[in-house]
Amino acid sequence: MLGAIGSFLVTGAMISAIYALIAIGFTMIFGVGGVLNLAHGGLIMLGAYGFLVVTSSSTVEFLAIPPIAGLAVAIAVGAVASYGLYVGLVEYIEDNPVITFLATLVVALILAELAIVAFSSSPRGLVNLAPGSSGQSVGLRVTNLEIVAFVTSWVAIGLLWYYVTRTDDGRSILATSMSQRGAQLTGVDLPSVKAKTWLIAGALAGLAGVFIGTLQQTSPTMWLDPLALAFIIVVIGGIGSIKGSIVAAYLIGYLETLTVTLLGSGFRGTFSLVVLVIVLLVMPQGLFGREWVHE
Amino acid sequence: MSSDTQTGGSLESVADGYNDRFGHLFGELNGPQFALLIGSLVVLLAAPVWTSLLGAGGLLRTLALASIWAILAMAWDIQSGYTGYISFGHAVLSGGAAYTTAMLVAHVNPDLPFLVTAPISVFAALVIGLVIAIPSLRLRGPYFSLVTFVAGLIFYQLTYAFSGYTGGELGQRVGRIEFELAGAQVTTFDPVTRYYVMLVPMLVIAVALLYVARSNVGMILIAIRENEEAVAAAGIDTTKFKIWSFVLSSIPMGVGGVLLAHFYGSVNPLNFLLVDRSIEIIAMAVVGGMSSILGPIGGAFLVIVLREEVLGVFGVTGRWVALWTVVLLVLVFARDGLFRKLWHILGDRGRADGGDDE
Repeated sequence: MLGAIGSFLVTGAMISAIYALIAIGFTMIFGVGGVLNLAHGGLIMLGAYGFLVVTSSSTVEFLAIPPIAGLAVAIAVGAVASYGLYVGLVEYIEDNPVITFLATLVVALILAELAIVAFSSSPRGLVNLAPGSSGQSVGLRVTNLEIVAFVTSWVAIGLLWYYVTRTDDGRSILATSMSQRGAQLTGVDLPSVKAKTWLIAGALAGLAGVFIGTLQQTSPTMWLDPLALAFIIVVIGGIGSIKGSIVAAYLIGYLETLTVTLLGSGFRGTFSLVVLVIVLLVMPQGLFGREWVHE
Repeated sequence: MSSDTQTGGSLESVADGYNDRFGHLFGELNGPQFALLIGSLVVLLAAPVWTSLLGAGGLLRTLALASIWAILAMAWDIQSGYTGYISFGHAVLSGGAAYTTAMLVAHVNPDLPFLVTAPISVFAALVIGLVIAIPSLRLRGPYFSLVTFVAGLIFYQLTYAFSGYTGGELGQRVGRIEFELAGAQVTTFDPVTRYYVMLVPMLVIAVALLYVARSNVGMILIAIRENEEAVAAAGIDTTKFKIWSFVLSSIPMGVGGVLLAHFYGSVNPLNFLLVDRSIEIIAMAVVGGMSSILGPIGGAFLVIVLREEVLGVFGVTGRWVALWTVVLLVLVFARDGLFRKLWHILGDRGRADGGDDE
């Protein structure tokens, strides 16, 4: 019994840490630019496939770098793609939320189809960063990869927190998310701040892609679940709030773990969706959010 | 005077005759616009003739499919295009109707006639529409879109969770349409009949939605999109009208869903409930021109013909990449839609007594 509760607590924490990674980038982009980036799941997918290409010789024969270096590649792929998406597309259309909505979603669909062209539609296995598992001695079943994901997630969140609150460069992002006008008046270069936000969000997405790709699956349809999760978490936490996203990520992570433990994996997402609908109806601004202002 | 202006002149007089009688109901037209409409109508009605002359029998199937998608795109437009509340989950409505038909056939009685299953299925779409609309329309901006998106995901999951009833991933057989009309047997096993069974409802729905869009209801929906506070301040219950727009949308969505189920002869989550289907509906409306009813028809025919007939050169998957790329380009470079642009070019050319309705 104690072991079961312990396993539940640990498994929940591990999956929640990855959910936090997914949601933070999504919420930052909304907080700073007011844009809901529906291609976020696509960036996560790019990270996973980027990792696949460089670490496994199955795609490019002579290319099989160590998984740790592959992680760096995945982060870079996510960051560059995200940055490119902003300066190549979103920058020109962000004045119209409806068009931005649709365009980013269409980008996600294009990425998914391209993934089918390049890697076929069947799921692929990623090289495990940290094979094996530990914790058996105390009655817990945790894979080493989950531990790595947990630690990496908190390191990433810590670095982000340091950057945003302790450096001038990062503070300009924080300021913009509070008041675009105010930030502009104090001399913040808005386009560069937005581009930086997309870069960071893409990096986090690429990182999350490797963990999701290894723990769940790497396939051309893998963009949808993370996107739905990002939605759910961000709305529950409050759109634009990083703190809210972390709290909500753990809430949803534990809820899903509980659902899977009690009802089986077929109902994994259903309860999160129901919770989302309830939160939207009762407190649409979320736990830590501001009311969405239509400009 | 060249002959060009003379034909233009006679066109104007025909168009004026139309305007006098129906202009106040469906919007005024000028000569070239009228010619485009009548021309398209003739081309559509005569499609079995010219496709068989061209020896392109497959094209008739594509046009039948495009007619169904035109219904869906128009239905989305009267809700999302007119009110500005963008729904990402409309495939749930058509999918719900399609699945109702399938489950009636599979679990109640395989011999249920089309004239019984179709109305029940459309009613099911209406009920699902209300279930989604009543809670979600209290929300604004992106939140509304999020909930409709989530509704799509929930329904998609449910088809797998209850695969005992829905057939899960494989889906369920529906069969073709067969019914008697004025003593004659109508069956969609025949490609030409099938085409008309899909085309005629599309035209009827187009006329009905155009009428609604030009009526006071349509005006209020547009006003809600432009400035909801102002409409509310004028003492109009905006929630009531938004729900009305959803109801108005659910009925044709249901019709489209039923037709689509019989067109394919079966239903499955991939063809009916996947998020991509909702986005396809939106893409057609946006490519044609949102909030115009006629634009989505043009968008649907363009997108389906491209997908089925033209982009096949890029391969099975490549055609989707090409299609979504085209949609993306239209979104960025022609936000108001291709057919609206064409419409206004015609409007400017034949401006005699101002057929402008925007």
